[in-house]
Amino acid sequence: MAHTFTVTFDGFPEPVRVPSGSLLSDAVRLAGIELQQPCGGQGRCGRCAVLVQSGAVRRRSSLRLSAEDVAAGYALACQTVIEGDLQVHVPPQEKIERRLTTDRTAVEVSPPADYDPATVQPLRRYTLTLSPPSMDDQTDDWARLQTALRQQAGLSEVKVSLPVLRRIGQALRDGDWTVTVTLDMKTWDCPGCPAALIDIQPGVIPAGDPLWGVAIDIGTTTVTLWLVDLITGKVQAQASEYNQQINRGEDVISRIIYASKSPENGEEMQRLVLDTIHDVLKRACGRVGIQPEQVMKAVIAGNSTMMHLLLGIPAASIRLSPFVTAVNHVPTLSASEVGLGIHPNATVDCLPGVASYVGADITAGVYASGMETAQGITLFLDVGTNGETVLGTRDWLVTCACSAGPAFEGAGVRYGMRATRGAIEEVWINAETAEPTYRVIGGVKPSGICGSGLISLLAEMFMTGVIDKAGHYNTHLNTPRIREGEHGLEYVVAWADETYCGRDIAITHVDVDNLLRAKAAIYAGFTVMSESVGVPLDAVEQVLIGGSFGKYINVEKAVQIGLLPDMPWERFQFLGNTSVKGAYFALLDQRARQRIHEIAARMTYIELSADNSFYDAFMSAMFLPHTDYRRFPTIAAALEETTKNLSRPGS
Amino acid sequence: MPVEIVKDKWPGSVRQVTLGATAAEGGTRSHTVTVGGEASLPFMHFEAPMPNRPRVAIEIKDRRPDDWSPLLLEVWGAAADNPAEWAKAAEQAGADLIVLALSLTKADGSPTQAADAAASVKAVLGATGLPLIVFGPGQAEADNELLVAVAEAAKGERIALGICEDKNYRTIVATAMANGHLVTARTPMDVNLAKQLNILISDMGLPLDRILMDPTTGALGYGIEYGFSVMERLRLAALQGDNMTQLPMLVTPGFEAWKTKESKVGEGVPADWGNWLQRAINWEVMTAVTLLESGADIVVLRHPESVARVKAVIDGLMQPA
Repeated sequence: MAHTFTVTFDGFPEPVRVPSGSLLSDAVRLAGIELQQPCGGQGRCGRCAVLVQSGAVRRRSSLRLSAEDVAAGYALACQTVIEGDLQVHVPPQEKIERRLTTDRTAVEVSPPADYDPATVQPLRRYTLTLSPPSMDDQTDDWARLQTALRQQAGLSEVKVSLPVLRRIGQALRDGDWTVTVTLDMKTWDCPGCPAALIDIQPGVIPAGDPLWGVAIDIGTTTVTLWLVDLITGKVQAQASEYNQQINRGEDVISRIIYASKSPENGEEMQRLVLDTIHDVLKRACGRVGIQPEQVMKAVIAGNSTMMHLLLGIPAASIRLSPFVTAVNHVPTLSASEVGLGIHPNATVDCLPGVASYVGADITAGVYASGMETAQGITLFLDVGTNGETVLGTRDWLVTCACSAGPAFEGAGVRYGMRATRGAIEEVWINAETAEPTYRVIGGVKPSGICGSGLISLLAEMFMTGVIDKAGHYNTHLNTPRIREGEHGLEYVVAWADETYCGRDIAITHVDVDNLLRAKAAIYAGFTVMSESVGVPLDAVEQVLIGGSFGKYINVEKAVQIGLLPDMPWERFQFLGNTSVKGAYFALLDQRARQRIHEIAARMTYIELSADNSFYDAFMSAMFLPHTDYRRFPTIAAALEETTKNLSRPGS
Repeated sequence: MPVEIVKDKWPGSVRQVTLGATAAEGGTRSHTVTVGGEASLPFMHFEAPMPNRPRVAIEIKDRRPDDWSPLLLEVWGAAADNPAEWAKAAEQAGADLIVLALSLTKADGSPTQAADAAASVKAVLGATGLPLIVFGPGQAEADNELLVAVAEAAKGERIALGICEDKNYRTIVATAMANGHLVTARTPMDVNLAKQLNILISDMGLPLDRILMDPTTGALGYGIEYGFSVMERLRLAALQGDNMTQLPMLVTPGFEAWKTKESKVGEGVPADWGNWLQRAINWEVMTAVTLLESGADIVVLRHPESVARVKAVIDGLMQPA
């Protein structure tokens, strides 16, 4: 005889009765309570977690719940069998979402707690009061200013440039012989060298007023700029945009080829990246209400090719064997030399690179990630257009690079976009119906899919059998979402009436292929490197991930597609854009700048093209999650579980 | 001084795959053919006996082919006009297996219909007691349409259906599963791709002992070294215990050798090249024998003289030293 059990929901007066063997989700539905089940009740998304306050239940699966969650009484409604009378609390949806953020890590940026501009900031501002000239004292303006600098700021030797000299006289008189000067102490690379006078303004600028600097990451695909107040160390505005050079080639190789064709092309590439920087600079400055000319310093990170193209240095040798750059350690430059539209005298500091394919973005990233001080073996992955990887500890660092393509930054994918408002950032697919649910940044109608959304989408399509392990669409599924589109087979994530653009947002088989290539290149890169230095991946204690594909990475899904190795989730940490972060630290603190210099000097570069092991590893990784499924035991187990639950023709 | 023979001991072995079904097994074949089962590299009898000898299949077409060498059409004569006669002639020539390759079009240029393919297969099954392998024309849509009809017409005969490729395998595998057949899985000369296709096919639920893999090869002088080394690596992976590579290998040296200039062209070539027919046969035999040494379990040939010579080589190689 079948028992019935009574389930009482917190805050709902009427208990419901359900037959034994029912799922908690059945009871929730009976009670008329809204509970999201984007995965279609497969126990994969964790969105239906409820708190069982009392009573007996049997959890068929607790995926997405931690041991503490289970101990506290949390259970997935869709996976939990009712075995007694229950008292249940259904948390509000946003609380569930918040709890689930434990499986993704987003890192906010804040200045170091002990940031003291007076000791570590090379940019200094002094207000000086000069004695006015008279018939008795006909000392020239510059000498007069030098005297004030010596007496009031303790600077015995200061360098001045012609543009500043041109402004001194006016500023002194406008300010009635009180001026505020900005100097760059240049202490890290040239101890004992004279400080440079960058700017002179009439009158007093209060000590607490912002002193502006920018940290810039020039990515092959995305340019990111942080506008920083050097007095407080705080990032006051962030802006990023696709690098306008994209129209001249998606990867560094095609950019080099284009730029090398003629001097005009080289100049065009320089102009395109400067235009992009000026665009984000204007936007960032606009947000805090300043003019770009008020920015007194720029620190720039970027891969070696981007650095060469920015500076108008021929980059052809990067592409040709034996693959050398024109320069790894660029000397300090001025903004007017570079053509950067900030204060013309501002110092432009290009961070150092290691090799042709391991640039300043990685040296900056290694510093920002903290791996150069790590005791245990650490793997640092920069998931960008170039998949650079660094393995090591505080004692040793090896690095390699491979071309991943721009897919994870949303470029080179039909409906790809940057991780901004309107981007689909996470997707779940119902395994029974192949219907998707998605979340959009800003909660608006979607315009496209960003990198994290693409990772999530690829994983869901794979785990639910929409695509097979080779990434081919399963046309045997009974769903209108898989269809023959203009560009071949595709899966529709959002129908036109749900989207901002008014068109169906779909992912084509070409997109899937690009994503597969990108993830395969990155996975192959770090596996070949770890094998070549004799460190098995199991020995890696932490995996630090940098990249600008979203504000977080869903580790579970990145493992499912074989982008990240199958290891306990707590070993992964997502750091966001580590390149701009490293530039930011270098902008704030001359000691950080010094460390980045040292990191560049001590990294060992491994050339992956030296033998065919990379190609082999790449082909092996061109599969979901990997041709060698023994490398992904938890995914294999999860797949087996899913297949058991599904009986579907053709899958 | 006694010399100790060093022996490798492998943890893995190749699966045995049986083609054809006798009356007792629900088919009409006079006997079945089992391939695979190796526990060492080819012909290393002192390490582990080879339980099954490599087999020779003869490729026939459902109608007189338009693009075959005149040397082949000459030797098969009138039999090439009729698949049943051709199959009989092939059996007499010593074939262990028949490969029936369906044409995209009929002699009048109209597309081969499902009913035509089914009729050809039935005719061949009626004419010979040998187990059968059927290849589609090599275009996804035609393959799927024709092979479904073939699979149903040959239900119970445990034939092998081909050619599955990574972009088109679902329909062929599904019909093989539904009708108790095998499939052949072809990938373009890459160890990983071969393994991936085996995984995709077995993910659909077809047992691994019903899959033959075709890693693709090139003819002598046309990339055979590459094909050889891919096959060798696949076999080494299998012996080392990699489940998804432990499948017998079928290769098509006949197809490869007969498209080379050396075999195809009899006029306007240097006199030093010698007798055209002998050269063409040598080319096919050398290609096939080389592939046997790299681990081939089934070689598909075209010329009856090649079949006799390759079988003689296999006889010799199967003798323990």
